[in-house]
Amino acid sequence: MSQFGAFIRDRRERLRREDSRFSVRQLARRLGVEPSYLSKVERGETAPPSEAKILLLAKELNEDADVLLAMAGKVSSDLQEVIRKRPELFGQLIRELKDMPEHAVLRLVREVRDGGW
Amino acid sequence: MIELQNDSLVFRFPDVHKDAVLRIGFQRTLRIPDDDKKYPLPPGLGLFPLQHVDDFPNGVPELWTQHGGVMLPMYQSEALWINFSGDYPFAIKVAAGKINAVTGEDWTDGLHRDPQDYMVAPEQPWLDGFCVEKGLIRQFVAMPLGSGYSAEEQLTGKAEHGGLQIVAFPLRRKAYERIRKERGACIRRVGYAPAEEAAMMCLEDEAPGDFDMGLGAGGQMEQEIYDDSYGFDDWDLRHSSRCFVHLTNSMVWRAITGGDPPTVPPTSSEYSKAGLPWFDYYSDSKAVEGSEKLATVKSVAELGKEKGDVPLPENQSVKVENVIKLRKGLKEGQVREGAF
Repeated sequence: MSQFGAFIRDRRERLRREDSRFSVRQLARRLGVEPSYLSKVERGETAPPSEAKILLLAKELNEDADVLLAMAGKVSSDLQEVIRKRPELFGQLIRELKDMPEHAVLRLVREVRDGGW
Repeated sequence: MIELQNDSLVFRFPDVHKDAVLRIGFQRTLRIPDDDKKYPLPPGLGLFPLQHVDDFPNGVPELWTQHGGVMLPMYQSEALWINFSGDYPFAIKVAAGKINAVTGEDWTDGLHRDPQDYMVAPEQPWLDGFCVEKGLIRQFVAMPLGSGYSAEEQLTGKAEHGGLQIVAFPLRRKAYERIRKERGACIRRVGYAPAEEAAMMCLEDEAPGDFDMGLGAGGQMEQEIYDDSYGFDDWDLRHSSRCFVHLTNSMVWRAITGGDPPTVPPTSSEYSKAGLPWFDYYSDSKAVEGSEKLATVKSVAELGKEKGDVPLPENQSVKVENVIKLRKGLKEGQVREGAF
């Protein structure tokens, strides 16, 4: 079972205990997929769904979309776009930040640039 | 270092002191009537939204990118005051179109003591306009750069810079540590907005076109610029940060950012009729003299009359009845103890 599938199943089951709308059948309907497909995804028998479906799933399960995408081995298209615009800069930045503690990364600030006037 | 946080500029000097933090916000306010009366302080109607000019490299003029800094949208029917907050003392110099708002002199990066060309926060909680006389300012009001109304155009004959320029210097660390126990409480000037009236007004009161707005001199308001009570040597002149604040009209703002500017604020007359408060600030601190140079700047209404133009469609005098007195050192609602 994939990490992504197991995580989805765990979250969905927890919600289902309180609310029957989170049965495989009902959740699959809201996502616009077949129940058998969602079941296979949860068991890791098929690859994770598309980015659009993962974003819907994150909304339904009230989970962070970037975390779910990462578990599915994907990076959201808006982040890809950011990196594609300035690949050298963000490549260097992310590599430099990878070992920094979270509090240090969170203190990364953007300075208002002063120019010539 | 300056950061943009929640529509305010946050100046930090961690190299000087961890407490050396100054927040500068640009408050939207009523355009007070430009007549022969002197008005009390109008309220704050919320902060102008600020954006980095660097975020819109394809939408802003090349010159703005060269200046760096931030931008804000301003209707001609509103005015602006600058709010300084923080406990650490700062010397702050403000210019409009690179004309110093306290002295009327051309912009320079440093500080000048005699005559004093800067303000001292937190003693000076805000600035609403150009200091034309001791205890009297003329309100900052936006006019299209090139129309001849801005203080910059009247004093230099050129429509070159527009916008607002700000530089802040912290107090030296040693001086701060010496005086930190002698401080008074901060004063808040609150805001009121009759939301229904504001929402009913037309948003599209301006045509797109020229990007830059300059600040002209509006109505007269009672406000003192306080004399620097620190020693001039107490200012850390080796550390400073400065920012260019570009002003644009609402239509251009929408074209650049794709976002809506705030709704049009109420007029002074609508605000006063609703019984909402104005403010009066009292401090024992000594005030600086007004600038003779700035006193020669014609107000927008005065210049409009000479040009046969009506730059201010809503400019009737207002009777102000509800004035809240704010006193330096007193918290809101605190009863003042006098001498007896």
